[in-house]
Amino acid sequence: MREILLRITFCTYGRRSSVIRAGLVILAVFVQLACTRQQGANVLSFAGSAVGREGQILRRQIDAFEAAHPEIRVEIRSVPDAADQQHQLYVQWLNARASEPDVLQIDVITTPEFAAAGWLLPLDRFNPPTTEFLPAAIDANRWRHTLYAMPWFVDVGMLYWRSDLLDAAPATFDEMAAAVSRAQREHGLPFGFVWTGARYEGLVTVFLEYLHGFGGQFLGPSGRVTVDSEAGVRALTALSDSIYRDRTSPPDVLAWQEEQTRFAFQSGRAVVMRNWPYAYPLLADPASSRVAGKFAIGLMPHVAGAAAVATLGGQQLAINVHTRHPDEAYALIEHLTSSGQMLERVRLAGEYPARTALYDRPEFSDMGAPPDQIRRIIEHAVPRPVTPVYAELSELLQVQLHRALTRQEEPASALHEAARAMNALLARAGLLSS
Amino acid sequence: MTPAATVTADRARDARLARRLLFPALAAITVIVGVPLAWMLWESLHLHDLRMPWLGRPFIGLENYREAIHDPRFVVAVMHTLFFVAVSVTLELAGGLALALTMHRVPYVVSGFSRTLLRVLILLPWAIPTAASALIWRFLFDGQAGVVNEILVGLHVIAGPRVWLVDPTLAWIPIIAADVWKTTPFVALLLLAGLQSIDQSLYDAARIDGAGPWREFTEITLPLLTPAIVVTLAFRALDAFRVFDLIYVLTGGGPGTATESVSLYTFSALLQKLRFGYASALSMIVFAGTLGLGVIYIRLSNRHLLTRG
Repeated sequence: MREILLRITFCTYGRRSSVIRAGLVILAVFVQLACTRQQGANVLSFAGSAVGREGQILRRQIDAFEAAHPEIRVEIRSVPDAADQQHQLYVQWLNARASEPDVLQIDVITTPEFAAAGWLLPLDRFNPPTTEFLPAAIDANRWRHTLYAMPWFVDVGMLYWRSDLLDAAPATFDEMAAAVSRAQREHGLPFGFVWTGARYEGLVTVFLEYLHGFGGQFLGPSGRVTVDSEAGVRALTALSDSIYRDRTSPPDVLAWQEEQTRFAFQSGRAVVMRNWPYAYPLLADPASSRVAGKFAIGLMPHVAGAAAVATLGGQQLAINVHTRHPDEAYALIEHLTSSGQMLERVRLAGEYPARTALYDRPEFSDMGAPPDQIRRIIEHAVPRPVTPVYAELSELLQVQLHRALTRQEEPASALHEAARAMNALLARAGLLSS
Repeated sequence: MTPAATVTADRARDARLARRLLFPALAAITVIVGVPLAWMLWESLHLHDLRMPWLGRPFIGLENYREAIHDPRFVVAVMHTLFFVAVSVTLELAGGLALALTMHRVPYVVSGFSRTLLRVLILLPWAIPTAASALIWRFLFDGQAGVVNEILVGLHVIAGPRVWLVDPTLAWIPIIAADVWKTTPFVALLLLAGLQSIDQSLYDAARIDGAGPWREFTEITLPLLTPAIVVTLAFRALDAFRVFDLIYVLTGGGPGTATESVSLYTFSALLQKLRFGYASALSMIVFAGTLGLGVIYIRLSNRHLLTRG
């Protein structure tokens, strides 16, 4: 029908009046729209990262889903990889009450925010097998005792270290500072410790590991922010010292996100790096990496008496509350979070599964990093505060951390100001328990 | 009917026709500008935070505005923006005037095609999307691999590479340089149009009277170019006041909030923090500011045109 109309439109060129032609074009457009609507009956729209290799893996997983459910077709809607840009796009769609996309890939910190805004479909009615998943990841997806998203794959902050330059992963912050400084000097490397210090979420994830490593907590027992504790000040001072006192971190790290950090380490110019699991297969590839076979992973350091932690990140799958196909949408989530598909992702992308039992599977040992090391890091994973105002808490903290790290402010006063502003926000939101 | 009455009736008919002809334009402006503006005003008087639906959307009067003027980050962002407007527009005006005078002289030297080519080349930076050119400037000023560091170290201007984009003071240099590079051609074009409207015979007369080039510039070019300068200034100042993409790409407002502009802060309040009410209040304040500036400019340029005849 559409083609016929278009053909008529073009055939009449030069013979009929332009008004008729214009009318036919408009008609064709409407027919097109109507057809799209009709197809929409059993088409699911999935919004997620679909660029490059990530896209190929996703397409492959979705092909398997379509083969198992011939009545459902899945359209991939590619969204930006950068978490904040992805967030903005979702806000525009969901706030406009769009019924598409039906299934959303969201960052772990977004779940409570979108859940509180009423944009996500509660998942409890589908009875998801939550006990089979990493408890920290499930907790991060609950808001007011209701589950709003399923963990897809998990990210954990970890320390990459050069096994040819160091004897062992440094356990404490002092050990790390000394060992990195020595190795850097002895081998004439430009950088010692590289990390993600740009003013963005990545900076908060590194700070969180330092904070816990020094024995601090983000939130106190009553739900108040306690980043300005003594441990917090020591943590921020240690990060600042790595740049200005020990000079193991170049000031450039204050503009670096994951990729610049990875390039510095991958080109063999650094001794240790704080990054996420995605870097492992890339660093292990001898074709593009100068450190292939010369690095290992471990937990971030800590001080005596405190425990090392790994900031929990990762991607979740959630359903748009305005979807017209809730059951089909959940079927897709069930497929993507099944053991088989999670192992597929491990194999192809090196992304860690959210199902705890999978770490014991033989398939898991095929991937580069030794499973026992990964398991040890995953067991130390801590989520960031689960609150709908997390994005703003993080932004307030990012600004003050960055002010201190660029020496516009002392660590103590910067953290004090951050805690004051964050507690004021929690109070305004009615989220403080006392 | 007396002739006078006919004239009056004609005038009334003309006025009616004028009103009718104006109506579509007014209606369009009302729909496109008025409705969103009224909506924004309404939002700015309410508590509306998408993340906290349990707070409802109560009317809170001027509370959002009170918070804004007591918000040090907003006040500092306004200061940053005014600083950026003052420095970049001044540099653009000076550079644009020099470019325009050069281009104005060129017609006597080169042929039609080269003249067009020259003008296209000069306008090129303006045609590149800001986000793309900002990325280029970010690479130029990169701390590790940036060309700027390499050149300055090579010339012994600085001892070692600087990390421009995370230094609270130095970060302004790439921002302002990028804006000047991008917008000077636009300023030049507007001023060139002004220059071309100046009657050539004035210069001929001045030359006969024995005036030198400097005298010609100060006594003829500059006074007659003033209306064009005022218009350009208005365009540029209002545009620079809304600066967003350039800073967003170059520094993201950092380090800390050392280069944060009003638009950037409003953007973060609206799309990152989802504080629709508060962000609307910030937008209303910026709107009132730019409207005020616009009115002052129009008054000034009107008076100027009147006194100059």
